[in-house]
Amino acid sequence: MNAPSSTCPCGSGLRSERCCALQLAAIPPAEATRHLVPLVERAVQAYQQGAKDVAEQLCLDVLELAPDRPGALSVLYSIRKEQGKAAAAEALLRRLVHFDPNNFDATNELALLLMRKGALGEAEIHARNAIRIAPQAAQAHNLMGMIMTEAQRPRLGEYHYREVLKIAGTRDPIVLANLAWCLKNQGRMEEARALYEESTAAAPEIRETLLGWARLEEADRNFDSAAEKLDRLEAFSPNDPAATLTRAVVLGRMKRHDEALALLDRQAVAESAGGGIGLGATELSEKGRFLDQLNRHDEAWAAFVEGKRLAREIGGNAYLDPVADNLISRLRGFFMSGRLSLLPRAGVRTDVPQPIFVLGFPRSGTTLVEQTLSAHPAISAGDELPLINDIVNIMPRMLNSPLTYPEALAELWMGDQRDGLDNLRDYYLQKVAQMDVVEPGASWFTDKMPLNETHLGLIALLFPASPLIHVIRHPLDVMISSMANHFTHGFFCASALETAALHFVRVSELVAHYRNEMALRYLPVRYETMVTNQEETVRQILDFAGLPFDGNTLRFHENRRYARTASYAQVTEPLYDRSLYRYKHYRKHLGPAIEILRPIIERLGYTVD
Amino acid sequence: MSIDVPLPLIDVLTLAARLEAEKNFAFADRLLRRALDVAPDEPDALHLSGIVDFRMDRREEALAKIERAIAHGVDIRLYLRNISEVYRALGRFDDAVAAARRAAALAPDDPVCLHNLAVIQYHRLELDDCIATAEAALKIDAFMPGPHFQLAEALLLRGEWARGWEEYQWRFDLPGNAPLMPPTTQPRWDGTPFDGGVLMLIADQGFGDVIQFARYIPWAATLCPHIAVAAAPEVVPFLRQVYPQANVFTEWRHAPPFKAFRALSGLPMLHGTRPDRMIGTEPYLRADPARVEAWKEKLDRLTPRSKRRIGIVWAGRPTHNNDRWRSAGLAAFAPLAAVPGIALVALQKGPAASQASTYFGAAPLVNMGAEIGDFEDTMAIMESLDMVVTVDTSVGHVAAAMGKKTFILIARAPDWRWLLERSDTPWYPSVTLFRQTVTGDWSVPMAAAAKAVAASQ
Repeated sequence: MNAPSSTCPCGSGLRSERCCALQLAAIPPAEATRHLVPLVERAVQAYQQGAKDVAEQLCLDVLELAPDRPGALSVLYSIRKEQGKAAAAEALLRRLVHFDPNNFDATNELALLLMRKGALGEAEIHARNAIRIAPQAAQAHNLMGMIMTEAQRPRLGEYHYREVLKIAGTRDPIVLANLAWCLKNQGRMEEARALYEESTAAAPEIRETLLGWARLEEADRNFDSAAEKLDRLEAFSPNDPAATLTRAVVLGRMKRHDEALALLDRQAVAESAGGGIGLGATELSEKGRFLDQLNRHDEAWAAFVEGKRLAREIGGNAYLDPVADNLISRLRGFFMSGRLSLLPRAGVRTDVPQPIFVLGFPRSGTTLVEQTLSAHPAISAGDELPLINDIVNIMPRMLNSPLTYPEALAELWMGDQRDGLDNLRDYYLQKVAQMDVVEPGASWFTDKMPLNETHLGLIALLFPASPLIHVIRHPLDVMISSMANHFTHGFFCASALETAALHFVRVSELVAHYRNEMALRYLPVRYETMVTNQEETVRQILDFAGLPFDGNTLRFHENRRYARTASYAQVTEPLYDRSLYRYKHYRKHLGPAIEILRPIIERLGYTVD
Repeated sequence: MSIDVPLPLIDVLTLAARLEAEKNFAFADRLLRRALDVAPDEPDALHLSGIVDFRMDRREEALAKIERAIAHGVDIRLYLRNISEVYRALGRFDDAVAAARRAAALAPDDPVCLHNLAVIQYHRLELDDCIATAEAALKIDAFMPGPHFQLAEALLLRGEWARGWEEYQWRFDLPGNAPLMPPTTQPRWDGTPFDGGVLMLIADQGFGDVIQFARYIPWAATLCPHIAVAAAPEVVPFLRQVYPQANVFTEWRHAPPFKAFRALSGLPMLHGTRPDRMIGTEPYLRADPARVEAWKEKLDRLTPRSKRRIGIVWAGRPTHNNDRWRSAGLAAFAPLAAVPGIALVALQKGPAASQASTYFGAAPLVNMGAEIGDFEDTMAIMESLDMVVTVDTSVGHVAAAMGKKTFILIARAPDWRWLLERSDTPWYPSVTLFRQTVTGDWSVPMAAAAKAVAASQ
């Protein structure tokens, strides 16, 4: 009576009903399948002895009968991981952690896997669990340090790295290098350099250490010193692809694009000759950007497209279309003027610095705006603060709600949650204080997390007096930049041109909805005007924030603060208008995006030429 | 519904005309399309189908069909009469007046043709012609309300209010106008004082009219102290303010017994108002202080305090019969948005409010429309504004009746109350008028208003 089952699309080799479509009720009690224990033991043994086919078959047999057996899940995970079946490996590992929550190694492994694919929020959850399981394990703290550093909370990362050093009682060179990278991300270049020196003195031939150090020097604009670190690396690891890429980046920043390109091309030839696949996704994007600089636009586009294809293939990240659609339609449904008139607003704190939100699609110029504003003595740069997303996640718990965001906001009507927004606001401000982003004397700090405009309604409830600066740029230029860079924001929309366009449309319409339904302290700012008439735009923004004009903001490229996002190399250069309407060079490749974006392009006041 | 039995064309047209009159446009449309399939040049079918297209907002198609009907001609004067209406709706006043003239020439005894011509002449501000045409129509049919009303509008606009008010009475007889009140045997008040009994006033027409004419209630109360006012709920706060003793009610079942009645808009006539004999020119509306505080706190949060706050409204109620010509759209406010040192506070309500989400101008704009619940909110916000710039709609009257500095942008052929040419108005001393020089083109008055805003620091 059941339709014949097929194997699970994740590639585990199990039937769907025993894999990704598993229902908890279908799992037999442990004692009913105890006779399978010897089979699991044989599988482990076979795997260790290298008889992987035998181990695999045994695991599939066991999991068909007992889909929750940790041993079998663990062995099958290892096999699939070795085979490069990323989706299957991830599914199996998740299941293993689910059924065996105190498994320290598996929890660590999962956190690491999630971090590598850019799912930092989820990675954090598992890294925290690993510390709960084993608070004295240096490995867990190291992982937490890495994730927090990647998640742009380097202060927190620093704490956990220092815990590692304390627990281990030694100054492990790799942990020192990790800590150095973390400090570099805080702009503490001198301290980071000292740690790299200490690390390489103890262990001179560690690839990642030298790469990190080279990137530090590159960011600090010591290009010769960066090259010297790469020379050291290539002395023991010739033709290292990452070293080549970094060298190319350094050359690119010195405007030696031809040489940079030649370097990458040589690398591609060497890789292919060695049986490799050629350049990786990041290298291809970098190559495309060099080609773009050299006005070789068709070749650049080809490199971008290939880079995206490889990134999808390796990372397995595609736009989470239904998830995005669901959230956005629920936000539209919830944030209606009738309901908003009944919801409270958080009070405005005057005792601590307040956020200025710099909103925009990734690659819209939010970094430029932040760098400019933070050159003002009253404004500190907060960078991409992940806190609004955090609040979205913890809201049900904070408001004691059975519902998720945004519906959980309905708890604000309960007598005991009237101050719920104040609590969420204070959570945000407290985290900001912990991150130590506000400089002495500043009364404002920026939060430029891209796509925070998705949560414009929530932000306005939490910070009703905060300026909302929305950076707007020609959507087709944003698309070019989305193709030329890899980012995970926006439900992985940038994994393909069409999905980036689709997400752009969805978010634009959502912003229009918020603007219709709420009175907001909202100022749209055009990137193009910022570039062509910088002073006027800066004055406009500062005036809007109620701050006097300050001449430093016009010399923002002298602001030594290191912005850690993809735009940093551009904002450390004076404004130039090369970045305006770049899409015209790529017009013929943009057909599918234009079709999707046309109404929004018009609404934003742009044209397609 | 489907028709399988072929009908004679005359029956199809009769049926379609009936369906059109019953507003069953979709079915009339299907029927006429089938008829045109069989007889593509049949002028009556083309004409009627064009009318149906027009009703369904397919104006260009309507025009094309009626033009073909005229080319193939049967009842050409009827076609011309109707096509002039289509031209007028499309803003093609030259074509409209030409068609209406031809229709009137072909049918010199048809008052409808003359009435249409008078309407178009008003739009073209050819007021002498308009008055003459309306009078010609009335020579044929002295009791036709349309030409009387057109005559009233032209006279009032020219400031000839004595005769204008008389003709203005005909507005109650215009086809399609809802009755003023449930049937009554009580007399219409003629301005004679009385004490023993209630004077029933009906707050008729748009909200702006109610605000403008509410000033007459204290005057009426000097003649008849017991006053009841029938009103829409939205305008109740205004009526309570101008005469707190009035019994204001919103549903006829709550109406008290009354001795005589009168529409509020009929009081200027009884009072004998003339441009140089006005009453109620002192501010007569004010905001509730508690609400003022709450809205001020909100505005201080949402707009930079250093900026002058300019309230704006860019569209009126879309069901107003002249809305197409009086509403501007937010895009037309671009010259104002470029004035330095100001913040725009959008007070717009209704469907046009959504234009706020497409605003990307230089001056910050805060969209209060979404949070405004009623006119009391609007009044409370006014107290925190430096001035108001608006098209000819009720918010302008609110601001003006509060004595707020108000710029009103009006169509080339404006509502009669704004008179001709002058930039001030006897109704409200704090108002400055900015007039279109070309129908449908807001750029000239908007540029002038922006300049005046910039100069009024």
